[in-house]
Amino acid sequence: MDFLSHIFAFDADSPLLFTQFYFWGFFALVFALFALILSGQQSAISNQRMHLRNVYLMFVSWFFYYKTSGLFLLILLFVTLSDWLIARGIKNSELRIKKFWLCLSIIIDLGLLAYFKYAYFFTNMINDLFGTGFRVFDVFAYVGNGFAETGRFSVDTIVLPVGISFYIFQVISYTADVYRGRIQPVRNILDFGFYVSFFPQLVAGPIVRAEEFIPQLYKPYHLSRRAFGIAVFWILNGLAKKIIMSDYLAVNLIDRVFDNPLLFSGFENLFALFAYSLQVYADFSGYTDIAIGIAMLMGFYLPMNFNSPYKSQNPQEFWRRWHMSLGRWLKTYLYIPLGGNRKIGFGTYFWLSVIALVSAALTGWWIWILVPFAVFMVGVFVWDKIISHRSSVISNQQKLLYSNLNSFITQVMGGLWHGASWNFIIWGGINGIGMIINKIWRETGWHLRFGAMTLLTAGLCVLDYTTNLPAWRLFAVWAAIVWIGTAIRYIYFLCEGADNKFTKAIGTAWAILQTFTFITFTRLFFRSSSNLDPASANEVAWSTAKNMVNQIGGAWNSAIIPDFLWEYRWVVAMFVAGMIIHWLPTNWKRRYRLWFAKMPLWLMVIAVCIAIVVIYQFVTADMQPFIYFQF
Amino acid sequence: MRPYKVLLFFACVLACLAALCLVLPGRVAFAGTEVRWPTLAEVMGSTEHGTEGIELLDTLDTLERLDTLETLETADTVVPEKPKPVVPPKVVVDSTMDSRIFLQSFYASLSQTGERRVRVLHYGDSQIEEDRMTMQIRETLQKRYGGQGVGLMPLAQTIPTRTTRQELQMNGKIITPQNGPKRYLVYGPKRDQRKDGLYGVMGQVAIMADSLVSGSEDIIAVCKPQMESAHYERWKIFADSTIYYETNGDTVHLSGKGAVYGLSQESDTGVIVDNIPMRGCLGLVFTKMDSTQLATFYAEENVKLIIMQFGGNAIPFNEQPSTIKSIVKGLRDQVRYVQRCAPEASILFIGPSDMIRKKDGEWQTYPMVPYMDKLLRKMALEENIAYFSLYNWMGGSGSMLRWQEAGLAGSDGVHFYRNGAKKAGNAVVEWILGEIKN
Repeated sequence: MDFLSHIFAFDADSPLLFTQFYFWGFFALVFALFALILSGQQSAISNQRMHLRNVYLMFVSWFFYYKTSGLFLLILLFVTLSDWLIARGIKNSELRIKKFWLCLSIIIDLGLLAYFKYAYFFTNMINDLFGTGFRVFDVFAYVGNGFAETGRFSVDTIVLPVGISFYIFQVISYTADVYRGRIQPVRNILDFGFYVSFFPQLVAGPIVRAEEFIPQLYKPYHLSRRAFGIAVFWILNGLAKKIIMSDYLAVNLIDRVFDNPLLFSGFENLFALFAYSLQVYADFSGYTDIAIGIAMLMGFYLPMNFNSPYKSQNPQEFWRRWHMSLGRWLKTYLYIPLGGNRKIGFGTYFWLSVIALVSAALTGWWIWILVPFAVFMVGVFVWDKIISHRSSVISNQQKLLYSNLNSFITQVMGGLWHGASWNFIIWGGINGIGMIINKIWRETGWHLRFGAMTLLTAGLCVLDYTTNLPAWRLFAVWAAIVWIGTAIRYIYFLCEGADNKFTKAIGTAWAILQTFTFITFTRLFFRSSSNLDPASANEVAWSTAKNMVNQIGGAWNSAIIPDFLWEYRWVVAMFVAGMIIHWLPTNWKRRYRLWFAKMPLWLMVIAVCIAIVVIYQFVTADMQPFIYFQF
Repeated sequence: MRPYKVLLFFACVLACLAALCLVLPGRVAFAGTEVRWPTLAEVMGSTEHGTEGIELLDTLDTLERLDTLETLETADTVVPEKPKPVVPPKVVVDSTMDSRIFLQSFYASLSQTGERRVRVLHYGDSQIEEDRMTMQIRETLQKRYGGQGVGLMPLAQTIPTRTTRQELQMNGKIITPQNGPKRYLVYGPKRDQRKDGLYGVMGQVAIMADSLVSGSEDIIAVCKPQMESAHYERWKIFADSTIYYETNGDTVHLSGKGAVYGLSQESDTGVIVDNIPMRGCLGLVFTKMDSTQLATFYAEENVKLIIMQFGGNAIPFNEQPSTIKSIVKGLRDQVRYVQRCAPEASILFIGPSDMIRKKDGEWQTYPMVPYMDKLLRKMALEENIAYFSLYNWMGGSGSMLRWQEAGLAGSDGVHFYRNGAKKAGNAVVEWILGEIKN
């Protein structure tokens, strides 16, 4: 009986994670029944069988979600039902009614997301602003207790249901696509339920768009021999990324540095920060690689979610390669509705004002932020009206302005999506600003680039010299490095040197390194401490970032670098290996993937076993003991 | 490929892995390294959670204890009016005895706090860096027995504390502590040590006019309080007589040549508690410090309690009981040395916290922690000093993991987070004041 309850009951301490043995046992059982449903001649498999397959996988997914999140399954079921009904309502109505349905759906979906994910954040913000003492109140727990404040559920805490950010975005994409006539509403609620809850991508993406996924529901199972090999490859690749490049690096170096930056020298902090960049990527992309592989084995194709993002040559490209399914979602359902690079409208002004107000509230610099912001907005408005009045064709400058403003908003909202605290908003904001600066930089000639960079570097060096604050030191050194690169390129330009293969390669490597460095520094604000309450999480995130900057810019201590590299040789080796693999040319990667996929099955069994044994060595690796280098 | 073929593939992989479980005995030496693979029993065991209930009970128990402490902290406890009678000098040691009887000299001094300053020095390793734990001891003692100020801090503070963040200016320019006057640390690497042992009471000294920046030196240390309770503007400077200083608010202006042993914000009466962290230190450094200098400070400053919190740094690198034994023997020598330098003061030794590491994929307590804790307690009692077992108080073996899960300790399995340090610091001071047992 105990055994059965372990299998079927929800246990908050043992969710079904792809990296656990238990999950693979679960998957083997699920797949066995799946194979049974689809047994028989391919041609003989009827629509009914396909339907049975879909319903079966939907129930499996619900079970999977229940094991991970318990009764929050009800939320998943609720949004499934509500968006399915609303989409049907949209189909047969006239425009005004359609709009009403769409708004209703967005209010319900975003309302749920806001309630579960952002309740603490908003409560804290209101308390900070108005000095009130509001506390969150879990209405669902209240209802669950039979309209009582005490009982089975606690009303004082709101727990975030796993994966809610992902499936809410999926249902929104569905309703919006139906509204825009891009897809027909799904007739059968069971099929729709399957789309919303398909377990491989339920808790961590990729965010699948309805128009990409729903047609697959009506296609018979098809998995070519090569696709099978690729699917196995993705699963192994994901496991290796998650366990070796993410968990191992985290446990042995990154976590302890982020926990206590002051115990480590500047070099160690910097190394940990770069390693964290790799860790975040490996963790997230590893998980979605596994999801893609599992889905593929069952004959479903999920979109690519990461395309070697640290190969990007500028921040804009980075966002096209990083968490691509979210990027595409934000582009389709936020950036373009805001006007994209075609216009700025009410939405743009509204959201920018909200961001400005929030930043003013956050920093307390009301006048310093709001006055320049108001001047800027009025300037933009007047300039835009004058230009539009002169010509109906949108000029390149207008496009640049529109796309910059709209993508800034998108970035900040993207930041907020990642987590309900200030540091994520700051993170989004820095990314937005980085993107804008880079876009302007690319539009600028070499004389101006060199001049601006020289001024900036000189200014930062003066600031560093006069204030001697670690943060300015950091910026000054960074600017000096960029300045050297710019100067070399500028001299080359003055000498009218032509681009050849060699200079292009150097230019590319330089751009990649600069982008990687920029993205890495934004990560200072990307880490949240999930087991803290939101108020102290903010404080901790902020003090971690501050201490790390202080150490990197101040207590550098190069004398200990050789000791560090030697004592942490395994961690360093894993980081270097990870970056090298990441930067391998795409066609090399494709080649070895195909080589793996085409290998005879018996050999593949052996290869998989060896890979698992190797990965297991990292699961069980002894922890790097604690060593101090700085006193 | 048909689904049943995929299933077959899976079955083959599982069968091969299971076969490995049967064939391999857990660990095999392969090409110079050890290859690990679980046995079948371990795999099956990993899906069962039979022990979880018990662990949960333990956690609840610990948390409940922690909650009790929280209540104690806020409750108005009665201040012991009369210090307990002083015990006869030699005590028959019993392993279960309450070692607080060795704190009599400190208890007795608490009755004088109205007239003069009573000093408590808290030496320790990185567990007390940033004023962790010390802060709570100070808060409680000062609340009950008076006294203000955070006590000693070095001239060049390399690690800002929870209570004070320092800014250093040299010749009118802000500098990092590393670019300030040359520091000598008794617990640092060889290149930072000095032969004459004149490190002062903090085990670190800054020598002015010997800095990396040439020219005459004129140093300003601005100590910014990080919390309202740490705001106090009365200074006492411990330095050579060749150093001249002026203080103004939270700023100290120093000039001249010579050694600066510490800057202190402190009142003339009440209790002053100094936080003296020594990163990476085993605690075997006191004998390297000049005994006359220490003895003079301890006597003049009316030091009545010396807390020594060491031992943790021995744990990760030593698996042999014999090594631990010899380290504890070394610590015994340190205790005796400190006793000789401060015959009037009580000494309290705080052992290492529970410390965990990941071994064979599982977090577990370092095998030497309980052993060291036991030896330290024995040593303390034999030397007639008090002993607080942080390890036992936390809940013994594996408690660090529960602390981590409760968000009280860091991912390195060694250091407390601020809230964890707060609980531990409170526990120590409550124990000293006789309100909890350990």
